Amino acid sequence: MAEIHPTPEALEQFVLGRLSSPEMREISRHLLTGCPQCQDVMACLWDPADEAEEAFALEENETLDEGVGEAYDEVLDRVFARVVAAEAAIGVQRSVGHKLFEELMQLPAARRHLLLSNSQRFRNRMLCERLIEAGHEAGLSEPAQAIEISNLATVVADRLTPEDCGGGEALNGLRARAWAQLGNSYRVNAQLAGAERALCVAQSLLEEAPVALPDRARVYSLLASFRVDQRKFAEALQLLDRAAVIYKKLGQWSLLGRTLLQKAVVCAEANDVESQMRLLRQALDLIDPQADPRVFLIARHNLIDALNMSGRSREAFALLFHTRPLYLKAGDRMSLLRLRWLEGQVALGLQRIEQAEVAFREVREGFRELGQGFDAALASLDLASVYVQQGRTADLRLLAEETLAVFQAHDSEQEMLAALLVLRDAACMDRAELQLVQEVSGFLKRARTNPELRFSPPTTAS
Amino acid sequence: MSALDQLQVEASLEGFLRQVRPRLKALFGHFKIPPQDTEDILQQALLALLYRPERVRDPEAWLLGTLRNKCLLYWREKKRKLYESVDTSILERMAEPLAPAQEGADFRKDLESALECLPERCRSLLSLRFELGYEPPEVAERMGYSPASISKVTTRCLDALTRHMVYPTPRGKKARHG
Repeated sequence: MAEIHPTPEALEQFVLGRLSSPEMREISRHLLTGCPQCQDVMACLWDPADEAEEAFALEENETLDEGVGEAYDEVLDRVFARVVAAEAAIGVQRSVGHKLFEELMQLPAARRHLLLSNSQRFRNRMLCERLIEAGHEAGLSEPAQAIEISNLATVVADRLTPEDCGGGEALNGLRARAWAQLGNSYRVNAQLAGAERALCVAQSLLEEAPVALPDRARVYSLLASFRVDQRKFAEALQLLDRAAVIYKKLGQWSLLGRTLLQKAVVCAEANDVESQMRLLRQALDLIDPQADPRVFLIARHNLIDALNMSGRSREAFALLFHTRPLYLKAGDRMSLLRLRWLEGQVALGLQRIEQAEVAFREVREGFRELGQGFDAALASLDLASVYVQQGRTADLRLLAEETLAVFQAHDSEQEMLAALLVLRDAACMDRAELQLVQEVSGFLKRARTNPELRFSPPTTAS
Repeated sequence: MSALDQLQVEASLEGFLRQVRPRLKALFGHFKIPPQDTEDILQQALLALLYRPERVRDPEAWLLGTLRNKCLLYWREKKRKLYESVDTSILERMAEPLAPAQEGADFRKDLESALECLPERCRSLLSLRFELGYEPPEVAERMGYSPASISKVTTRCLDALTRHMVYPTPRGKKARHG
């Protein structure tokens, strides 16, 4: 009896899963016999998705069957027409979102939540985008406001529907980014429990449903920052590697540069200075200084700091000379204070002690004026390094007392106070050494984001 | 500046679409996505590009990277359904009480031959599943897998079986497309 084979069309529909259950079963049964004739047909239908997921050269003139090429053309024509028509509408939505944002921000905080929860008008995707963006910006300039704004973004995101966002994937991505941004806002305010909760929501959103690659990468990046604060460096690097793979896939080199900058921060925290500097150089090659001047400046700043910390203060000095115009161009108070601080640290590295002292004093005053007590205290500790090197024990004692008083007044963490007490006591007994000052300073920087840390003084300074 | 603004700065949206059109066709052709299924994939990706809140430096690379990923996901989903279908077909066939004796024997023989060609772990797992009718938790216990991972392992074995059925390795030097 002649064997009956499924038609090529039926085999194609089988691969695409478009047949009824009995038909699928019948073809499965047939293929199980190892029919070579049908396998030959199937070989042309089987997909390329299991090929190595490396970039492939996409040839524009890759030969397509004429009929297939025409069918693609028809689809492209239809989609392009719809997208062009949507372009103007998206522009209007963006503008509405910005207006709603302005309106919202003029209201008292308590009213904002009420309005977002009750008014349909505020169920707007672009408002959500604007709030996420504003939450990020506030994290850099006014951290105290960042939580409130990011929280509003999650309220809006959680009220949106797939229809509001043009599909479920877009909504999932928006929600994941909103929650991740809230986590980051908690993090920059050193509220780690809140950060953990919000980032857990973001992570579960990534696991539960499809989320577009750029949104996924953004969540990985924010989550990595939190892992760094938790001192889970291996996890942070893993997350950043995932983000880097996505940005490479998407050809987004500047964002890849930012990711390498983040990786460099992880290496710095793990005291791997050589890797830190290598990554910073790679990041600087990728970040566009015209389009991303602030990120470029941060990368340069960190490289100068790393060079100086690793004893290459001359190189640091040379790079600082070339970078100074970027700080001046940024022009804001924080950037200028950070420049002055770095100048002091490089001067100290070059043993230009008096220059360093002047710089640290200016920086301390600057941060005090801005109400940034913590940074002012760190600048004070740099000043303490100067006093130790100059043997100015009386000045050191006074400085240690002042710094401790500032932290006590702000109800700081017990371990921070303990570290400063050790320094104060050593200063009072004229036994404070440079190593102790550096240990206390390093500890305060780490403990700022990790209240679980415990201070253990160097044995020589007890 | 949004992705939209960026497009407007560099060229009009229409210009961008004209420029990227040949590459889109090549990409869909490369991944063998049926034309009727490209419509949603492409529209979602283009709208996502227009909606992006931040500036997209290289919109073409962004779009092609996004689409490539969507094409991979498309096939991953299709294959998952195909494995499920093959699995169900075999399970149903094995459970048929009234199949003619010769036909039933032939089926079992074909299944055994197919399983023989698979790696040992897959062969054991699928034999337990199809021939002895074990449930996944029982298979996990017998083979020392955690209950949480048995589903993934089973999918991998079904992948191997389906691949063997449609494109067996001894004959199958890999063509460009698969």
